[in-house]
Amino acid sequence: MKKNLFTVIVGAALVVIFALLLFVFQVRQSETVVVSTFLKPTDTLTNAGAYFKWPWPIQKVTRFDQRTQIFEDKFSQNLTADSITLLTSVYVGWKISDAGDFLRSFRGSVPAAQSQLEGMLRTAKSGRIGKHLLADFVNADPNELKFDEIEDEIKQSVQSQLSTNSYGISLEFLGFKRIGLPESVSQTVFDRMKGERLVLISRTENLGRAEAQIIQSAADRQAAETIANANATAIRIRAQGEAEAGGALHVFQQNPELAIFLWRIDALKQSLNQKATLIFDERTPPFDLFQNLPTNSVSQ
Amino acid sequence: MSHDHDYHDHAHQHAPETHDASSQALAEALRSSFAIVKIVMVLLVLAFFASGFFQVGPQEKAVILRFGKPVGEGQTALLNAGLHWSFPYPIDDVVKIPITEVQHVKSTTGWWFTTPEAELTGEDLNAGGPLNPAVDGYVFTADKNIVHVRATLSYKIDDPIRAVFGFSGDTNTAFNLAGVSNAVQAALDNALLYTAARFNVDDILTRDQQGFKDAVLQRVSDLTDQERLGISIYPGQCEVESKAPRQLQSVFDQVTTARENRIKAIQDAQSYTNKVLNEAVSTADAMTNEAATASANYVKYAQADAKQFSDLLPRYQANPELFVQFYLTKTISQVLTNTEKWVEPTSDNGKSTELRLELNREPPEPKAAGN
Repeated sequence: MKKNLFTVIVGAALVVIFALLLFVFQVRQSETVVVSTFLKPTDTLTNAGAYFKWPWPIQKVTRFDQRTQIFEDKFSQNLTADSITLLTSVYVGWKISDAGDFLRSFRGSVPAAQSQLEGMLRTAKSGRIGKHLLADFVNADPNELKFDEIEDEIKQSVQSQLSTNSYGISLEFLGFKRIGLPESVSQTVFDRMKGERLVLISRTENLGRAEAQIIQSAADRQAAETIANANATAIRIRAQGEAEAGGALHVFQQNPELAIFLWRIDALKQSLNQKATLIFDERTPPFDLFQNLPTNSVSQ
Repeated sequence: MSHDHDYHDHAHQHAPETHDASSQALAEALRSSFAIVKIVMVLLVLAFFASGFFQVGPQEKAVILRFGKPVGEGQTALLNAGLHWSFPYPIDDVVKIPITEVQHVKSTTGWWFTTPEAELTGEDLNAGGPLNPAVDGYVFTADKNIVHVRATLSYKIDDPIRAVFGFSGDTNTAFNLAGVSNAVQAALDNALLYTAARFNVDDILTRDQQGFKDAVLQRVSDLTDQERLGISIYPGQCEVESKAPRQLQSVFDQVTTARENRIKAIQDAQSYTNKVLNEAVSTADAMTNEAATASANYVKYAQADAKQFSDLLPRYQANPELFVQFYLTKTISQVLTNTEKWVEPTSDNGKSTELRLELNREPPEPKAAGN
């Protein structure tokens, strides 16, 4: 009896497994599923979980990747409001929002959906870029730059078309990927840039020279002021010293003759302090002493 | 069981002896077959549950989907390398993801056309020709100039469930990080374009390279947050490179040289300033010091002279003539000690002889070799 019970349990397990494999399917978090009954779509499942279905050929399950995909369009040429030709390319994050509509619109083909998306992007870009100046795309003033607004306008335009036509896809985000110029226009930009660079070179060199000149002039002026101030200070110090020294003059008033004699003597000492050559007449004292000496000629 | 019983009754009533043996053999065979069937059934059940074992490699993680939903959230949903078990499909489903700690993307949509080989050798393809918008990338600056920029960004996956189950890499349904990598790549391309549109060419190339890089990082961070990519950027592992168009490299180099010359001229002027001011300060110090010394000397000399005068005055008053002669003679003897002296002889007629001196005589010219 125990043997039979075991056999029954094993058999029942096999039946359950077989039934699970045959009648149950799983919808992943990343997918949306369309269930077709006799080839006609009858149900769309977007929530993850386990679901019942009749086995093929009664019911068929078609799975779609519901995750966001990145798509980039090709360069397209548009005129801005100030008649500048721009080449632009954008990227979009898009996903299947309604698998039934997607299946009906594109037969479930992602490349077909991307092709449709590219055409809509081209139209939207043409419409929105033409309403903006080049300065809206590039500008050092953040308040003047309308980069994000233009991206948002293109996204809204495409999203509106997608909703109107019930394509079953939606845009998650959109952004510019590249902005360029036609080859001939880029050469013109290069010519302008070269001119600006040459002006900048000249201006920079002149500016350097002028700045250096200003610095040097300021230095000369400051140095002259420093020396002038020092000179004034020196004169003041000397005057103070002379004034203080003048306090001793009353001593010399006792005998001016002696004072003058001593000053002359002092002046003589000072003037002959350095190397000097003096030429004297032999009658000058004390060399006049030689005149009274007996000579060889006299003795002869 | 009742079926077996009927079978045996029937055999007893109608079958001869020879039939008993064959019936027994058939019964044995059926029992054996049934036993084999039971073993196969057990093996099938075991095989079903054993199919739930799976292995995760060293360079990958795994997520178990139970009835389509991930088991766990965030990093806890990820199974590391090793042997694991889950219920077999359709209860559980295992998704393996090739994932590493640090992810990288590189944006070259703003760079000119080149190849890896040319990058390695430093060869510049089509350096002199015009920019072909189909292959040569560049960005517009705020002052409507053209520059080339490219960037490498490193990031990590914070929300692997969002990264894997939120973004698809291609038209296939593979589970990997290609989708989120494409999204980060697009955000980086956009950030370079957007940031360049706000910066002037000289800021991007020279004056504010760090500011430009920071702004690029900020834009990428903003976009990845808005698009909920579930990543975080390593700010220290972002490289942004910018270059002037190769067609204008020469004039851009000249601008750089002019700027360096300007800086050098200013530095030279500053050096001159330091030199001139130092000399002026030294001269000023010398002048004031000299004046202070002279001033002190005036006072000292005046005091010394006064003292000398006071000392000599009594002797002078005693005999002025003798004092003068004595003092004069003594002074002459002192000052003539270190002085070169010429004594001009007196001629017989009592007049002085004529003396001619050559002062500051020029040195004689060298003689010619032949002389």
